[in-house]
Amino acid sequence: MTTGIPQSPGDGLTPVPLAPDQKLPAPKRLQSPKQIAWTRRRRSMARTWAAYRKSKMGMAGLVILVIFVLIALGAPLLASRESISATGAEGAAWESPSAKFPLGTDNLGRSVLALTIWGSRISLFVGLVATVISMFIGALVGIAAGHMGSWRDSFLMRVTDWFLAIPFLPLAIVLASLLGASIWNIAFVIGITSWPGTARLVRAQTLSVKTRPYVERARALGAGNWHLVSRHILPNVFPLIFANTILVVAVAILSETTLSFLGLGDPLSVSWGTILELAFGAGAATRGAWWWLGPPGVAILLVVLAFTMCGYALDEILNPRLRRR
Amino acid sequence: MAVQLMAVTVMTALVLTGSAFAQENGEEDTEAEGSGSEKVVFTVGDDNDIDSMNPAVGVEAPAYFMYALNYDLLVNFSLEDFSPTPGIAESWETSEDGLTWTFHIREGVKWSDGEDLNAEDVAYTYQRSLDDPIANWKSYLAQIDDINVVDDYTLEITTKKETPSLLSAYVYILPEHVFSEIDKQELKTFENYPDPVTSGPFHVVEWRKGQFFRMEANEDYWGGTPKIDEVVYRVFNNEDALVQALKSGEIDFADTLGADFFDSLEGEEGIGLNEASIPSFEEIGFNSGASETQPDSDGHPALEDPQVRVAISKAIDRQTLVDRVLKGHGIVGSTIVPPAISFYHYEPTEEELQTFDLDAANALLDEAGYEDTDGDGVREMPGGGEPLEFRYFVRSEENSSVTASEFVSEWLAEIGIATEVRALTDTKLTDVIYEGKFDMFHWGWFPDPDPDFILSVMSCGQRPPDGIWSDSFFCDEEYDRMYAEQKTLIDIDERAEMVKEMQRIVYNEAPYAVLYYDTTLQAYREDRWTGFTPQPSDGGDLLASYGPYGFVVIEPLSAESQQAAARESAGGVSPALWAGIAAALILIVGGALVVRRRASQEDRA
Amino acid sequence: MTRRYVVRKIAGALATLVFVLAFNFLLFRVLPGNPAQILARNKLLPQDAVEQLEEDFGLNDSMGTQFVKYLETTFQGNLGISYTFREPVSGLISERIWPTLLLIGVSTVGSMVLGLLIGIYGAWRRGSGFDVSTLGGSLVFYAMPEFWLGILLLIFFAATLGWFPISGIVTPGANFTGFAAAADVMNHLFLPALTLTLGLIGEYALVMRSSLLDVMGEDYLTTARAKGLRESLVLRRHAVPNALLPTVTLVALNLGFIISGAITVETVFSWPGLGLLTYDAIQAPDYPLMQGLFLLFTAAIILANLAADLVYGYLDPRVRYA
Repeated sequence: MTTGIPQSPGDGLTPVPLAPDQKLPAPKRLQSPKQIAWTRRRRSMARTWAAYRKSKMGMAGLVILVIFVLIALGAPLLASRESISATGAEGAAWESPSAKFPLGTDNLGRSVLALTIWGSRISLFVGLVATVISMFIGALVGIAAGHMGSWRDSFLMRVTDWFLAIPFLPLAIVLASLLGASIWNIAFVIGITSWPGTARLVRAQTLSVKTRPYVERARALGAGNWHLVSRHILPNVFPLIFANTILVVAVAILSETTLSFLGLGDPLSVSWGTILELAFGAGAATRGAWWWLGPPGVAILLVVLAFTMCGYALDEILNPRLRRR
Repeated sequence: MAVQLMAVTVMTALVLTGSAFAQENGEEDTEAEGSGSEKVVFTVGDDNDIDSMNPAVGVEAPAYFMYALNYDLLVNFSLEDFSPTPGIAESWETSEDGLTWTFHIREGVKWSDGEDLNAEDVAYTYQRSLDDPIANWKSYLAQIDDINVVDDYTLEITTKKETPSLLSAYVYILPEHVFSEIDKQELKTFENYPDPVTSGPFHVVEWRKGQFFRMEANEDYWGGTPKIDEVVYRVFNNEDALVQALKSGEIDFADTLGADFFDSLEGEEGIGLNEASIPSFEEIGFNSGASETQPDSDGHPALEDPQVRVAISKAIDRQTLVDRVLKGHGIVGSTIVPPAISFYHYEPTEEELQTFDLDAANALLDEAGYEDTDGDGVREMPGGGEPLEFRYFVRSEENSSVTASEFVSEWLAEIGIATEVRALTDTKLTDVIYEGKFDMFHWGWFPDPDPDFILSVMSCGQRPPDGIWSDSFFCDEEYDRMYAEQKTLIDIDERAEMVKEMQRIVYNEAPYAVLYYDTTLQAYREDRWTGFTPQPSDGGDLLASYGPYGFVVIEPLSAESQQAAARESAGGVSPALWAGIAAALILIVGGALVVRRRASQEDRA
Repeated sequence: MTRRYVVRKIAGALATLVFVLAFNFLLFRVLPGNPAQILARNKLLPQDAVEQLEEDFGLNDSMGTQFVKYLETTFQGNLGISYTFREPVSGLISERIWPTLLLIGVSTVGSMVLGLLIGIYGAWRRGSGFDVSTLGGSLVFYAMPEFWLGILLLIFFAATLGWFPISGIVTPGANFTGFAAAADVMNHLFLPALTLTLGLIGEYALVMRSSLLDVMGEDYLTTARAKGLRESLVLRRHAVPNALLPTVTLVALNLGFIISGAITVETVFSWPGLGLLTYDAIQAPDYPLMQGLFLLFTAAIILANLAADLVYGYLDPRVRYA
């Protein structure tokens, strides 16, 4: 027997009988469907976060990520902008680590520590922009394919398969070579060469969401495509692809590094990849200048590791298939 | 599991054979045998590869190296200062009107296949160059009207106008009896190998693309028997390997080293270093007036004012650039004919010299009316128009241009000019320049010993779209008049005067701000070789690829030092150890398989 | 497997190939700049020589004609002439393919064998120190740029310790024969192969491990255990062969990753294979060469995928009788 608005602690749903002298509180204003949906989402996000906190791998990864993001954002405070340009180089060339230059200097006398700090900005930036582009295209194609079905689906998937057949690095090399070297071009190249994987995943998720009861109900009620996609499919697909997004960032950062190392990076900006390219080209390897070649690589390693750990942790939580084991 | 282990064994065996197989198709060298041989071999290493043995086709630097040693020029460039000296032509004279040249061909010169080299070959080569496109040789011979073989050893050439540059024709004499058999289409793909017919001090005997080519001395060379028996030119994929090879003694000479690698050899035992001044320079080019010939161009109007360009030039501290960008390996730049071509180089006077002086630069701009009216640190056009913001293009393939731009941008900011640095590939930059859609760029030139070409770059006729070489769109009537005239001056002193005057005009108008003159960094084993003679003699290139002299005079230091050129192993596990590992693997795998077989037989029971 | 399956797969592969050809063609027609002009600027060529070069490189025809010509020449095996090397691209590729095959072959086999063994043992002793450390190690190797690992190995083992050569495939100037020659190549091969192997090992180990874990919970294994079979035999006779299935196809799917690895590792060690050739093509930039290599890599992957599909179809009875 329902007696009114529940007041006792608990799950907030089970009705509780009123005490003899208790009065019914004034009714709250009815929430709109949107507000209800958002409350639900916030609760599930809180649940996810609670589960995430329990994952050691996830937390470790998150901590590392936060540190690097702080370093990237706080770069001007940690190392002056002049110290990474040739004009502001403060040390002698090829100096090994010392008190003044904890990571030594490069062949122009610039502090490797400063270079690595500033390099985080470009590397992270390119990784993020590339991922956004990739996820956007992938999601578009995947949802369109999954939602529209029939021949459109087959066609889109065929095209996706074709693009999947093309090996990433050679394609990226060709595109970067044709477009020219700039941060935006590199991000663009990485983004448009990695969308097929996302598209497939999004399509699979769209298909599974499509069969859920609330979607059918909405359709029966006369919902149009746009409504279905934006209100039902997208929000439900999103958490499932979020974990994948994190992993894509990791790959994007690695890709930027590789492309820069091969000479396709933006020569006017400092990224971890371009530092390695310069170092290797100046003979740092045979000179044994480990202080110049080491730190950027370690930074990449840590960041990619962090993203991967976060991604795996999230995947375990959000992806019910894995949770079983 | 058994299958996998079997696979491992098979794989090991395959790897061993595969290694031997891959080696045949990979790098291999068949250098002269170590012990017992008395051949004197000089090995040059570089990270650039020859593209073709055919003088009509090759354009890479190593190709010129090969041609210089295998072929002859009619008139050579002297070791001292690139001035004309006898080559195949022993002597020559001109007629009164300067239009007829008579060359007396050296007698007794033979091709490597025994045929005589005489005036026929010269006439053939020159005529063919005019008829078919052979490299760029036509440009040297364009004024020729008629070629007449008077007799086997006398050649008469008539020109339309007086043409002193005939003496600087960089045209290798080809064997008529070989090349007359090759038609125009075939010429482009003609390999000229194996066994090219040559006349120079060395003769190519072996060539492995991407690895090396080997040349043997021509003992009957007219210029003297080389003191080396063999020259090997070896290609390296990267400079690390090149430097290591020099240090370990595998090669005797490392050419065109990068600054960092060159510096790393400082103080190494037995290794001599040479910073060769070469006729090459790098500049910042300005869009001095593309709007005249390219209607779609969009260069900043301020740069059409020479005063602005000179001001910018004065704001550049060239010495700092040499110190910081070139690591000290360069010479401060001024005019467009480099000092390495000492006879023609013009050195600006003290008043003219655009020395680094920010105050003077600022004063020049103030004077010309470019003021910063809105106080944002950037000057505007007179009357408060467009701000002075320039697009500054650097080459993404050339790190030094990127580094230099960091300095230059800073200096320009201090005189109220804002720059937007953009990196482009050479391909794109060429396009951009051609269309006139730029304000300033950083590039360089490597002119011939004869200044005619580099002077032509500044002529009105070379501006796109009619011409191709002008990248500053400079045009001056007086300059053009002098250019046409100097082409015809036979008296070289007169010519030098005119050439210097032309440089002065260009320097003061500043369509280029020449930053520095490059140097080629070379390192060699001075504990084993001597006799190196630089060209030009004032600190030039030791390998003298404008002529064969360098190699005719290099000689080994002593017989013992040759034996000391030990072929050190480049590191690695010894063959014996590999054999041991392979044997052990096979034993382990085989043993494990046998054990497994017995065990599973038990289970089957 | 049924003929229908085979035909379907082959047709699919062909369709992909055609798409890639068209894509390849279009991509390079967006060519910036006139290559003849570029060569000319540095090499002092007069205008008519420039025009000659243009004609040689076939830049004057219409788009449609160019495409047809392109298809024709490609199927004849003519992939154009390299700008920088001035010789046919197909010739360059056939010269340089052997060192790459050697490098990739050794690395793939090494990483497969080692990866599988590690994966199997890790799954068997799940949660042990071995398992955890190899999982962590795999993750770390996956996260680092392969070429960086190569550089570290180069600094440490070659430049500093001098145990291995720093570049190339043979010692220049040496004239080894027979076994000494093979040993020389192996010395040069060791570091680059080690780099590639370490990069690949993690994936094989992880896939094998999770695949095996999946299989180990299956019913038919419980039956085998109930019969009294030792755990190791259960593993070897039943679990592993079934878990092997996904890893078989992994080789083919990984080819893209292997090629990328080869490109960067060959660059680091100046190993004269297709990877270094790609790097040289980038530096120029040499578009015909890039185009040819791109086509080759993509075709190789399509073929590998086709082979994997067919092999998988043969091995997996579920697919075979579909």
